[in-house]
Amino acid sequence: MLDLFAQAASSSTAVAPTEILKGLGAVGAGIGYGAAAIGPGIGIGIVVGNAITAMARQPESAGVARTTMFLGIAFTEALALIGFVVFILLKYT
Amino acid sequence: MLEAALKFPPIGELVKWPAFGLPGFNKVALICVLATVFTAGLFFWAGMSKTLVPNTVQNIVESVVEFITDGVILQTMGQEGMKYLWYLTSLFFFIFFCNIFEIIPFMQFPASARMAIPLLLAVITWVMYIVVGLKKHGISYVSKSVKPPGVPFALLFLIIPIELLSTFIVRPFSLAVRLFANMLAGHLLLVTFAVLTGALLGSSIVFLKPVAILPLAMDIAITGFEAFVAILQAFIFTILTAVYLGSSIHIEH
Amino acid sequence: MSYTSALLAAGSRAAAALYAQAATTTTEAPAQQAPNPILPSSTELLWGTVSFAVLAFLMWKFAFPLVIKAMQARTDKIRSNLDEAENVRQEAQGILEEYQRQLADARTESNRIIEEARQAADQLRQDMVRRADEEVAELRRRSIEDLKAAQDRVMGQLRLQVRDLAIELAEKVVGANLDRERNLALVDQMIAELEARPAGGG
Repeated sequence: MLDLFAQAASSSTAVAPTEILKGLGAVGAGIGYGAAAIGPGIGIGIVVGNAITAMARQPESAGVARTTMFLGIAFTEALALIGFVVFILLKYT
Repeated sequence: MLEAALKFPPIGELVKWPAFGLPGFNKVALICVLATVFTAGLFFWAGMSKTLVPNTVQNIVESVVEFITDGVILQTMGQEGMKYLWYLTSLFFFIFFCNIFEIIPFMQFPASARMAIPLLLAVITWVMYIVVGLKKHGISYVSKSVKPPGVPFALLFLIIPIELLSTFIVRPFSLAVRLFANMLAGHLLLVTFAVLTGALLGSSIVFLKPVAILPLAMDIAITGFEAFVAILQAFIFTILTAVYLGSSIHIEH
Repeated sequence: MSYTSALLAAGSRAAAALYAQAATTTTEAPAQQAPNPILPSSTELLWGTVSFAVLAFLMWKFAFPLVIKAMQARTDKIRSNLDEAENVRQEAQGILEEYQRQLADARTESNRIIEEARQAADQLRQDMVRRADEEVAELRRRSIEDLKAAQDRVMGQLRLQVRDLAIELAEKVVGANLDRERNLALVDQMIAELEARPAGGG
């Protein structure tokens, strides 16, 4: 087993440091996007939940609540999307 | 074996299309032109129809126009915003057609997943709401829109840069990025599951072949979802444009 | 052990070589196209601008006013139709009210006529009853008078005959010495006394 690791380590010296950096960048991008999705996930949950409460309380103003809900989702979602863009940026620079 | 087969193409490859025919005329440009042709065609068809009882196309077009009137303009700008109806309608249809090509067979790419298109539309909206604000309020538009009323003097040093940033820089950027990232993410999802399906089907391990039904089913489900997203993102872009125009018209917020 | 390790080493080496090859090919490919998917491509920007400008111009100048005009025309048409329908409805309502009013008038008129007829009949009946009563009373009065006259006449004749009879009878009884004048006066007095006596004398 140790032999195997040694072999693997010796073969990994063939990989250029830029490749390692790239791999680290991919790891960072993945973790970063995962972290960026947490907050908007919770936020959209709150927005939609409250919108549904509002619609259930006042079904006659459901149209306004729905429009406002989509707006709120759009603003909240922007954060996740910026995370997504940063993810792509990290992968490609 | 599976690793050898599952070779996910880089994102840059996925959205890069070769030009054909005219210089620089690639798939994205074709989709833009098609979106223009379809939108204009729909409106000409609906407008030319001489019958008083509306046909299907007229019904679709007019219900969208009425929706934009009642659900977007009157709620965000009021009666004053009716003169931007044509712009918002064009915007909605153009974005919708650019988006919907994501799930149309043999095209299967949303033009809005290239930054050029959302950026273009966002810049047009950006210029538009600034021009409208300047026209309506003169130069005081800038000072009014960065200084909310009733803020203590000490806080102004904090508020003014934030408002300046959010009104004049973040708005167009977030508008463009929202559409772009949504459509690109949808496209990547579709591609991911399609690639996975192909890899599983082409796998040399026989037991893995039937498993391909799972990503295939996921792909179909996401296709339906993306149709909804295409409409939703067009609507959100339109209503945010209307909100920004409205905030330029009625400056006090 | 040594066999397997050698095999693994060969395998890993081969994999590394494959990976390196793949890495060089994939790093070469982006180097020639540098596809950062976020940066807008200038040709796409150009084509997008041209298409949207054309669309905006077409919509602004031609297509959108057409649709709006058609919608406006339909709205006007529907509104005028509705107005017309409302007018017709009001007219019909007016006619209906007129008819109902006339019907009510006719009903009160007929009621009035019936009432009048009833009153007239009543009047007539009362008149006839009264006249019949009067006739009956008249008839009775006249018959009573007749009876009375007959009675008086019978009584007068009876009186005369009774007087003559009584005197004749008395003459036969007492003879002829009696003074006729005096006897007549006597008998008359007696009859008068008889008449003055209450009933039974007639």
